[in-house]
Amino acid sequence: MYTAWTVKHKPQTLSEVVGNNEAIQKLTNWIESWNKGIPKKRATLLYGPPGIGKTVSIETLANDLKMELVEKNASDYRTADAVKRFAGLASQYSTLFGDKRVILLDELDGITGTSDRGGVRAVIETIKTARCPVVLIANNAYDRKFSNLRRYCLLIEFKKPTVLQVARHLKSICASEGIEADERALKLIAERSGRDVRSAVNDLQALAQSRKQLIYEDVAWLAERDRKDVIFKVLNTIFRARDCLEAKSAIDAADVDPDMLFQWIYENVPHQLTDARDLAMAMDALATADVYRGRIRATQNWRLLRYVFDFMTAGVAMSRQRTKPSGWVPFKFPERIQWLGRTKRDREMQSLIGMKVKKKMHVSSTRAVKEILPYLRVIFEANAEMAAGIAKWLDVDESMIKYLAGSEGRARAILGNISG
Amino acid sequence: MSYEMWTEKYRPKSLDEIMNQKEIVERLKSFVKAKNIPHCIFAGPPGTGKTTAALCLTHDLYGENYRGHLKELNASDERGINVVRETVKTFARTRSIGEIPFKIMILDEADNMTRDAQQALRRTMERFTETCRFILICNYSGKIIEPIQSRCAPFRFTYLSKEDQHTYLQKIIQKENVQVLDEGFNAIFEVSGGDLRKAVNALQAAASLGRPINTETMYSVVGRANPVDIQNMMLLAMKGNFVEARNKLREMIWKYGLAGNDIIRQVHIEIFRSQLPERWKLAKSTSA
Repeated sequence: MYTAWTVKHKPQTLSEVVGNNEAIQKLTNWIESWNKGIPKKRATLLYGPPGIGKTVSIETLANDLKMELVEKNASDYRTADAVKRFAGLASQYSTLFGDKRVILLDELDGITGTSDRGGVRAVIETIKTARCPVVLIANNAYDRKFSNLRRYCLLIEFKKPTVLQVARHLKSICASEGIEADERALKLIAERSGRDVRSAVNDLQALAQSRKQLIYEDVAWLAERDRKDVIFKVLNTIFRARDCLEAKSAIDAADVDPDMLFQWIYENVPHQLTDARDLAMAMDALATADVYRGRIRATQNWRLLRYVFDFMTAGVAMSRQRTKPSGWVPFKFPERIQWLGRTKRDREMQSLIGMKVKKKMHVSSTRAVKEILPYLRVIFEANAEMAAGIAKWLDVDESMIKYLAGSEGRARAILGNISG
Repeated sequence: MSYEMWTEKYRPKSLDEIMNQKEIVERLKSFVKAKNIPHCIFAGPPGTGKTTAALCLTHDLYGENYRGHLKELNASDERGINVVRETVKTFARTRSIGEIPFKIMILDEADNMTRDAQQALRRTMERFTETCRFILICNYSGKIIEPIQSRCAPFRFTYLSKEDQHTYLQKIIQKENVQVLDEGFNAIFEVSGGDLRKAVNALQAAASLGRPINTETMYSVVGRANPVDIQNMMLLAMKGNFVEARNKLREMIWKYGLAGNDIIRQVHIEIFRSQLPERWKLAKSTSA
């Protein structure tokens, strides 16, 4: 059955709300101060960007304190009359059954000048006489229409949680859904959502529902798919440009990540420039661009980026000298991501072996993979006896032996030598 | 035939067994004699004995049970600031028992530590000098932040000479009963370029083939160590089949985890062994 994860995994108690500890503390203190009599400010205005837990904070707080929450949002009340009718509720702190009461007016931004005439004023009147806490929620507390209202309210700002906090929340959802999720994937989702928890949870559901595993490539892929149209336009400009300026203008036209654009151009150059000499020239330009990229990475001198762009765009465009014009050649997706996905198991196996090597040979696991594993492969393919000894010494398991030996038969020979 | 990797089996245990880097070894021995060492930076190219020197120094200071006084961390695998805050600090602050009042922490591949981690390390080094001495190992000391450098005694390791490498390999060859022709030695040196770890690994892989080692064997080992034939990739590219050649390259990098540097090195070697017209070879190798 399909339930929105934003509902299914909504926090049940205040402690489950993501981030905003300070604001939540302030809110709790204010609500609790009602136990000692009516405080100076009878209302509080929670404000901040959408999807970061304003509503859920007051909902769970009321729940935690066993208070009755009377909730109205912009779709329920519009006009002064409606608010007044509602205000009657606010005149008593306790309900008939002795429970304490909180009034919540959500989506206050929704009150507009004409159709909700007098709406804000009615809210203010309600607050003035309120005998129970009134919580107001809006995205922008500094909207002009709230200028009077603000004086009667304790202002509490909710801020966006950090990427890490959002990612942690996503992780706990994955855990309860039985999904094994790559941390980097979750971080990317959190980032892409603009740290909007609700939208991040929605994205997560779209990506991961009814799956057992979520890896980085799944998410990265989606991120790129969103940008496909933009990228195609840029590529089209570059590969069709007649002069340098036209080619360079491709970059200004769109806000694309230079690293990603580089991958796209690199992927498509051999398909677009079919003459070998043109291709060599274009690859040379890309190589030069890449040298600058490396230098930026090393020195963090981002002013060099303009030269990267020059070689990536104009350099590639001007390489088209001999390639015969042909019809439209469709652009190809950078295969880097697919390769990463396809070879994931290999690389996992390598890093497992790398960890074994690290334990014995005083090198990092990454260096072990690059420098020692190739020689292990030679030995495991050529010499079952020596391989058996090394396998035992390194304490590698059967699957690793099979990987290093490259074939079932050789692996059996090595295993035979180990037990023999 | 031996049952472990030769690089470990023949790794010197004590400073006395180290045959090259003479000046460095002398200075380290004077530390042992004084039973006191400063924080150190060992810098130099791979396979020149930095880690070995650090391990030997520790061994000579504490004797056979030196492991209990030592922690090795590899910054490439554990390079974040949290490692410094937790692992390093916990180790550094506990007192050592025994004659020598401090322990030793080896931070290998320290040039891969983040700047934040290095900043945190700097304070840890100062605060716990009494109980812990650090040996930072790196390829380029330039990547270590200035304040740490100024707190450490620097040691520069250099590539082994051909003679030193030869003597060292000779010892292994005798013990392991391997047959190596003179040309085989030259090939090993060419392949390893003074990196002793690489030389020993290549030697062992070549020995595993079970025949006398000559130039051909060495190159076939290096060729086999690169599972997708680089020559084949180059031929594809030169025939104009760029896309397929690129896929081979991607296979090497992504599927087999080869280092880009090694591939370039191999391409470079292959160009000069190829049938290309001589006047093209240099031009090709500059773009490789």
